Amino acid sequence: MIKSEQRQAIEELVYRSCLALDSGDYKAFLDLCDEAFRYTITTHSAEIKRDMVWLDHDRKGMETLFTNLPHHNSDHSPLTRHATVYTVDLEGQEASVVSALQVFRTQLDGGATELFAVGRFHDTVKLDGGTAKLVKRVVRLDTRQLGYGYHIPF
Amino acid sequence: MGRTAAEWNAPPKFPATHYVDSRLYTDEAIFGEEKEKLFRPSWIIACHESELPEAFDYRLFTHPAGVPLIVVRGDDARVRAFYNICPHRGNTILYDPSGNAKRMTCIFHQWSYDTRGNCVDITREEQGYQNRFSKKDVGLREVKCEVAYGGFVWVNLLDDCVPLREFIGGALDILEPYMQEPMELFHFHKARVRTNFKLWHDTNSEFYHDYMHYFNRITGMLQPGYFERKYTPFPNGHATVGSMQIQYDKYEGSKERAVGWPKMARGGWYMVDLFPGMTYNLRTSVMRIDTSIPLGPNEVLIEFRGLGLKRDTPEERAQRVFDHNTIWGPFGRNLHEDLLGVTGQGRAMRKGTDSRWVLQGREENSTIHDEVGMRHYYAEWSQRMGRPAYAPY
Repeated sequence: MIKSEQRQAIEELVYRSCLALDSGDYKAFLDLCDEAFRYTITTHSAEIKRDMVWLDHDRKGMETLFTNLPHHNSDHSPLTRHATVYTVDLEGQEASVVSALQVFRTQLDGGATELFAVGRFHDTVKLDGGTAKLVKRVVRLDTRQLGYGYHIPF
Repeated sequence: MGRTAAEWNAPPKFPATHYVDSRLYTDEAIFGEEKEKLFRPSWIIACHESELPEAFDYRLFTHPAGVPLIVVRGDDARVRAFYNICPHRGNTILYDPSGNAKRMTCIFHQWSYDTRGNCVDITREEQGYQNRFSKKDVGLREVKCEVAYGGFVWVNLLDDCVPLREFIGGALDILEPYMQEPMELFHFHKARVRTNFKLWHDTNSEFYHDYMHYFNRITGMLQPGYFERKYTPFPNGHATVGSMQIQYDKYEGSKERAVGWPKMARGGWYMVDLFPGMTYNLRTSVMRIDTSIPLGPNEVLIEFRGLGLKRDTPEERAQRVFDHNTIWGPFGRNLHEDLLGVTGQGRAMRKGTDSRWVLQGREENSTIHDEVGMRHYYAEWSQRMGRPAYAPY
């Protein structure tokens, strides 16, 4: 049985990960991640009846992705990630966490906000004392049309 | 120094073949004409054969001219294409974008068709039609369909179209050595962007915009051989770009591609742009295919496909997927930049913005920053539309 403080630590981890990415604080995001962290974006294509991987990086790969961002031409419209933790299944010191995810994009010019993507986080979280760390995050997107796309993961 | 309105509107100081009127990208009437004169008579890639591996597998495709199509593999393994329109009351026959349908049955009145286009069931046929009308009168409208050039399913709406090989006109010969082995699709996504379809094709038809791509500057433009890549124009508006050795390890966090492509030199990269809106892009370990489906003068839906080899091991496939995603996935470094670029063009060229000309004046002996690929496209455009692209009115 998961203790309320454990659940609270896990939920806070998920929400802090959203806040860190929303604010472009990639160091803060990576600080929430374990050394063995792996990040993947997947989706299922109803057109070709296949699961697809759209991004797959280990921690070092994520670091590099963030480091290289300033070299690239990117859409600068900020994203707002809205997560709701649905389920937490704890086994030993590792929890499988499923959260709903909505991503909104706000145009810089005029501030109009549009729904950009929906999906779920499937996180693996390691609990160490009072600290929770992301070991794995699989973003399973329902949305497959992302217009001109985005350089920063969800 | 800024220019006055008169100077802004004056034709550029190039030969008239070296620029186009911006209204080509915004005019509704021109757009309607393009669908009929450019897309309807052209062979278009609808999907890849690996999307239809089994008998009765089907795939829906909206033809750029606007016609909804069913592409289906029959019990005889042949791939055919039909209008996805019930001849009875004009309803959509199949709704899901893909599936397996031994019988294709319209949900409206349960009229049913086989994979050869025959109507095989009309509910209460005799009671309603007696002997005045029967199933043989209402087969599906079939369109020309061929599987070719790497296992892609090509369709043509005209009964009297030119043969596919004549339409391609040798433009894909450069890729023939690399399309001998069966390929398999591993990636598909659509991007709907606010720009004209020709602007997307332009982007695929010139490499001068590599300045926009940090990845391409580092791994290509700054490396030996880049400026020797040459464009070759082909009949019917198609063009190819020769290869070089891309230095993937020059991009931080990237490394030399671990998986290559049979018969292709290490780090190779070929592109073939096909009129009026398709591109083959074989870059070291991945084949990418773009198919543009114009939705309006300032809106296009682009279908992106990524393919590896059917015989890939799981490890090889994973590497191809990784390579693809690094630059070409929806979160990839280059695709986002390309789509952002053409969206910016779409924004600046909306009707009423007073955008006037698009320049295609670079001449560098047909090498990589020459804009001959675009000029060749618009020469074909002018011929098919019966008016020059620099003066369309």
